[in-house]
Amino acid sequence: MAGPLTPDPRPGTTATDAAPTEAASASVHLETAPPPSTARRALGVGRLLAVRLAGAVFVLWAVATITFLAVRAIPGDPAEAVLGGPGSQAGPDALAAARAQYGLDLPLGVQYLRYLGLLATGDLGTSFALHDDVAHVIAEQLPATLILTLVALVLAWVLALALAAWASRGGWGSRAVGGLLEITAAAVPHFWLGAVLIVLFSLTLGWLPAVSTSTPLGIVLPAVTLAIPLAGFLGQVMREQITDAVTSPFALSARARGEGSGGLFWRHALRHASLPAVTLTGWALGSLISGAVVVETLFARQGLGSTLYNAVRIRDVPVVIGVVLVVALVYVVVTILADLAERALDPRRRA
Amino acid sequence: MHRTPFRRTTAVASAAALTAVALLLAGCTASGGGAGSTPAGEPKEGGTLVYASGDAEPTCLDPHVGGNYPQALVATQYLEQLVTLDAEGNPVPWLADSWTVSDDGLTWDITVRSGVEFTDGTPLTSEAIAANVAHLQDPNTGSSTGYLAVQKIQSVEIVDDSTARLHLSSPDSALLESFSQPWLAIESPTALKRSKDENCASPVGTGPFVVSQWNRQQSIELDRNDAYASAPADATYTGPAHLEHIEWRFIPEAATRYAALASGEVDVIDNAQPDAIQQAEGNGSLVHLDAPRPGSSNRIELNSGQAPFDDEKVREAFIAAADVNPGIQSLFFGTAQRSYSPLSSVEPTAYSEPDLFDVDTDRANQLLDEAGWSARDSDGIRTKDGQRLTLRMPVSTNQSIPAEVSLFEQLQAAEKAVGFDIQLDQLDLSSWYGALAANDYELVSAPYTKVGPDVLRILYDSSGITPAPSGYFANHAKVDDPALDALLAQASATSDPAQRADLYQQAQRIVLEGYYILPLYDQQNHFLLRNDVEGVRTLAVSTPTFAEAWLDR
Repeated sequence: MAGPLTPDPRPGTTATDAAPTEAASASVHLETAPPPSTARRALGVGRLLAVRLAGAVFVLWAVATITFLAVRAIPGDPAEAVLGGPGSQAGPDALAAARAQYGLDLPLGVQYLRYLGLLATGDLGTSFALHDDVAHVIAEQLPATLILTLVALVLAWVLALALAAWASRGGWGSRAVGGLLEITAAAVPHFWLGAVLIVLFSLTLGWLPAVSTSTPLGIVLPAVTLAIPLAGFLGQVMREQITDAVTSPFALSARARGEGSGGLFWRHALRHASLPAVTLTGWALGSLISGAVVVETLFARQGLGSTLYNAVRIRDVPVVIGVVLVVALVYVVVTILADLAERALDPRRRA
Repeated sequence: MHRTPFRRTTAVASAAALTAVALLLAGCTASGGGAGSTPAGEPKEGGTLVYASGDAEPTCLDPHVGGNYPQALVATQYLEQLVTLDAEGNPVPWLADSWTVSDDGLTWDITVRSGVEFTDGTPLTSEAIAANVAHLQDPNTGSSTGYLAVQKIQSVEIVDDSTARLHLSSPDSALLESFSQPWLAIESPTALKRSKDENCASPVGTGPFVVSQWNRQQSIELDRNDAYASAPADATYTGPAHLEHIEWRFIPEAATRYAALASGEVDVIDNAQPDAIQQAEGNGSLVHLDAPRPGSSNRIELNSGQAPFDDEKVREAFIAAADVNPGIQSLFFGTAQRSYSPLSSVEPTAYSEPDLFDVDTDRANQLLDEAGWSARDSDGIRTKDGQRLTLRMPVSTNQSIPAEVSLFEQLQAAEKAVGFDIQLDQLDLSSWYGALAANDYELVSAPYTKVGPDVLRILYDSSGITPAPSGYFANHAKVDDPALDALLAQASATSDPAQRADLYQQAQRIVLEGYYILPLYDQQNHFLLRNDVEGVRTLAVSTPTFAEAWLDR
């Protein structure tokens, strides 16, 4: 797989000693970059945070506004949500009372400003349908979704790494098969995959519950459903990085020093690939939360995803905006954290 | 005062006989898996039954608020009504012991049972009737279905502890049918005094179960009411429930719901789809319970308020070309029977006229020629003065299951043969309501559930053409016929059952013979049960009750 082995220029050196050579060839100047002063670093981080926070506020405002308008653009009457959705055959008097109760009879502009005013004070408002504080609704549902996404994220990384390790260590054939597997996995829709897993593991084999959230096993199928497409995507990116790493000169030198292919993968290639991985994880978390809408509905799981699905269905405007805002907030926070982590890992970014 | 012959003793006797009929009927409709299930022996006590609903999770557990089917399903387990309907559709005592109506139909005396307590300890008295009617009529409650049903009640007078006197603004022969619906269930007057939110989270009734916990987006937990003593007159078992607990879950995905049932994770599912029913019938451990909803049949309504269906010949041509039987047979795997009536087959006054719906494409072509739609364009679609014979049909994907959408597609093909261009537009529920409110349709299929033939007044009285401020109107066919209005008003004011049935049948004849609707089948209510679940039966609006159920395991 790798090119002809060249003799190591400095026999007897350890893997760590080889770092400059490795860094130079991979253009990661671990040692050659001048170490920035602590003050400069703090300033850089501070400025970054300030810019990012301002950006975050803007993003959240834009998300709130667009969502507010989008939900209002759906034909129908939000007052129906108060009365249990459009199927409730609501009478005109009941609708009028519901409108008055939630200020839905006010002009749209006034409703928008009132809503923004509430948001500015951190109040997400009251759900039309659930007759409960939106913040409370979200606080109730968020843990279930976070647990699901975190389990799925870990699972996706394990699957992606396992596949990448297997494919990068084999020959041309296993790389091709690995690539095909990754593309297929990345392209599989959650809905279809979940249905297949239910039929296979719940209906046919009877090993795992299709819906139960009362047992810990209930998380397995939803998490796998979310993890497989993500693992396919992560695997594709990782494999490129790893293949790149294991065929580059520093890897050849490590190999020549007697490093086995396992050691090469875990000690060198993975470190090389860790930078894009951090960025990808931030992105993945966001994509997992949106995937949760489908998966939670399919597996009848409690969580933000099914809350959002139900709220959109009956036009419960405050809940829709609240959930979308929280997801946007998670996205923004994770992106900032990923950025900071990258700076910590990559000396070039600190300069 | 004219006294109806319904005293409790006679009621119980006739109810016992009727229960036998009902059980026979249940035996006929419960099919599949029957061979594998052991005959029901002595009921076993205890256990948890897991119910999985495909309907949406209610936003309020008190069916007075709003008032839709998901609420009716779950509320049947913890709330009870004044009356219920026996197998023949006659009201029999439940929380009400007896009732009398004055000769002018304007005064009703309703006596409640003695010795019954709500689960919060409040005794059941006539005060409960007054408090519940007031709650339904209060605009702040936000009641829709229940509100419409008690509109004619002007005031409630407390005669004594057990008797309430209802004063009506005009006679209402549908009053008892209305009181049999879960949307008019009787709740504790003490509990109704709490805030709306509190009452939504834990409504208090007299039912066999009580709401113990509501985990949103997950389940409603129901515990046995150990003091239960108010079974309806047609019950075969009257003590506290055998089941100790019910876990009420929401599984919106049909395939997941069926998988959960087949793998034994849940015991009962509703909204079983035709393919799942067929699978279940080949599965020895599952039982199918078919409980069509009362009220209207599932039908396609022809908008007669605008061209081209303002011309009766065009309507007749559409009906004559409508070949739906093969589609119903193939798409529903024999789980749906063709209907030829505006009313559900469970309505005793339902009137059918199958001959009107014989397929005759020659006749359809001739009628369209006569109506002036004689030219055809290059697609084979008929035209008149340059206008294509286009029919817009908004389809609600929330209400029409995939098999039904396929049926509409088959109808589209059949109608194209005679020159109709049906444009199916699949929409979510809100957009679908929007299309109806904007009058952007020539064809529509809209379900409506209400106990009794008075549903005809809601669907076909000309007053139902004018949309309410919300945009909602029920007369989608835009039937505007003074003779029909008069019949429906007369039927509503008539308490003599035979005369009433006759009036409603005349009304149905006008709807059918005017080619305003294409009846398809009963509103589907299919339940699948594990075969070790015994003693399940359905009440007035075809909601299952687990008051007599037990687990044979």
